[in-house]
Amino acid sequence: MVSNLTRRYRRGGKTINAVDDVSFTIEPGETLALAGPSGSGKSTIARLVLRLIEPDAGGIEFEGNDFLALGSAALRAQRARLQMVFQDPLAAFNPRATVARVLDDPLRIHGIASRAERPRRVAALLERVGLSADLAPRAIHEISGGQRQRVAIARAIATKPSLIVLDEAVSALDVSVRGQILELLLDLQRQERIAYLFISHDLGVVRAVAHRVILLDAGRIAESGDARDVIDAPQSAIGKALVAAAPRLNRTRSLGRP
Amino acid sequence: MTVLASIRDLTVTYRRDGSEVAALKGISLDIMVGDCLAIIGESGSGKSTLALAIAGLLPASARIKGSVAWSWLSSGAEAPPSVLPDISPARGEIAPSSALSPITYIAEGEPSEKQPISPLAGEMSGRTEGGVTERQPFKSEPSKIPLGGRDIGFIFQDPSASLDPVMPIGKQIAEVARTHLGLSWPQAYAKAKTLLERVRLPDPDSALHAFPHQLSGGQKQRAVIAAAIAAGPKLLIADEATSALDTIVQAEIVALIRRLVTEDGMTLLFISHDIALAAELAERIAVFRHGQLVELGTTAQIVGAPTQAYTRALLDAHIGLDAEPLLNQAGLHA
Repeated sequence: MVSNLTRRYRRGGKTINAVDDVSFTIEPGETLALAGPSGSGKSTIARLVLRLIEPDAGGIEFEGNDFLALGSAALRAQRARLQMVFQDPLAAFNPRATVARVLDDPLRIHGIASRAERPRRVAALLERVGLSADLAPRAIHEISGGQRQRVAIARAIATKPSLIVLDEAVSALDVSVRGQILELLLDLQRQERIAYLFISHDLGVVRAVAHRVILLDAGRIAESGDARDVIDAPQSAIGKALVAAAPRLNRTRSLGRP
Repeated sequence: MTVLASIRDLTVTYRRDGSEVAALKGISLDIMVGDCLAIIGESGSGKSTLALAIAGLLPASARIKGSVAWSWLSSGAEAPPSVLPDISPARGEIAPSSALSPITYIAEGEPSEKQPISPLAGEMSGRTEGGVTERQPFKSEPSKIPLGGRDIGFIFQDPSASLDPVMPIGKQIAEVARTHLGLSWPQAYAKAKTLLERVRLPDPDSALHAFPHQLSGGQKQRAVIAAAIAAGPKLLIADEATSALDTIVQAEIVALIRRLVTEDGMTLLFISHDIALAAELAERIAVFRHGQLVELGTTAQIVGAPTQAYTRALLDAHIGLDAEPLLNQAGLHA
């Protein structure tokens, strides 16, 4: 649960409210999407929720705890329950690390599996995200972008999180791979009741995978509700603009330059 | 319709880690005058290599076979300047090493070590290491070879990589006009201001003196477009020109490109991974995969009646606002 979250940046003597009095809740097993144009505060909210940055005002309650009051040890322990997948997994990993190393780290750091047990757990994680266990010794930079994002998801679920922040996690993928990754995320959600904070600029994808959506404009909530209701009939100006701007593929009518 | 550029059996091979990787395999394609042609494909399809090949911006290490033959300058277009002005470094255009533009390829091309490599070529793309392909002075007359920046305008994905960060926007646009149209600086600046108005940059007067970092991503892309059309190119190449922009700005930039192409009678080559976006803009679509041309047709035919399974797969993978929610398929809806 997030309440009255505010984060300001100072730029050139001016104070900008990157996130301005934003409140929301995410239920277990639910996908809440944050959508909006560039600069609307989507990624700042993601970083606040992950406590990668601290808010200027407001509170975050996570699994019954005051998340902002947690000391470093308690925060580290709690972080196992709160994971993240970003747009560019190559930037999120040490490119020279092997797949096995990337998946072994969270198991070791969070004390989830003993040294003897970890190789088996790594193999199981790879299989869980639809990859062959043979991939384990490969270097991160050697595998394809889609495989890399699957590894990022495997790393995120290694610590049994209840919430994963997905910040444009499928935006850079080829469309054929994107569908598979979305299916994987939905499958994991159904099996493990993981909640997603799904950040995307793509309303088509949001509509397809999210339960609820918050449309952001200049750091404030412009509109929120059931994802399909909001996107099918937006009420806010920014909602209408986002829907109008989404490219449409009309497969029955002939198209061309008007 | 008149053929603008005729691509025949174009094969481009990159050397990578000692092995040869074919980025394009025997592509034959005609670009017509006034065409609004989209090149669609996923990563590694060769779509950007095709753009760079047409623009003559392939890195020197690329091995090129086949030909790109141009017919535009023979069809009543104005003659190029007899003497090219010197081109000072650091703005988005190619500096040719001579009056001949390195665009047409030798049928059985050899790597172009013998060619003096311009350190500036490829700068516009921000992603090739530069260098130009070999030229073929004996196959085409010089007047029939297009010149990047003058005859071909480029818009790439990252406007920050196309613009000089320490030069005012107005100067970067004026330089193109001065270089290719032979204008004086005051004339070129007046032209730059008109161009900034045409691309609907707010407050063109102050934008002339603004540096790229003072503009937003969408505004920077507008400035790049102004520079790209400054010399009145016949062909405008947009390579993922809107992919880094949010949806609203993307729609604005697409509308801008559409309007400018119509107003100036340009031919458009629109390269994108997004088949829906391409379908909104293009009259014809060429689908690429693994360096090969899978299917070419009118937009209506490609979207409405594709003949190739891969084209259908691409269309099916599109998640539009009317798509069946994946959530319901997974039985998850709360």
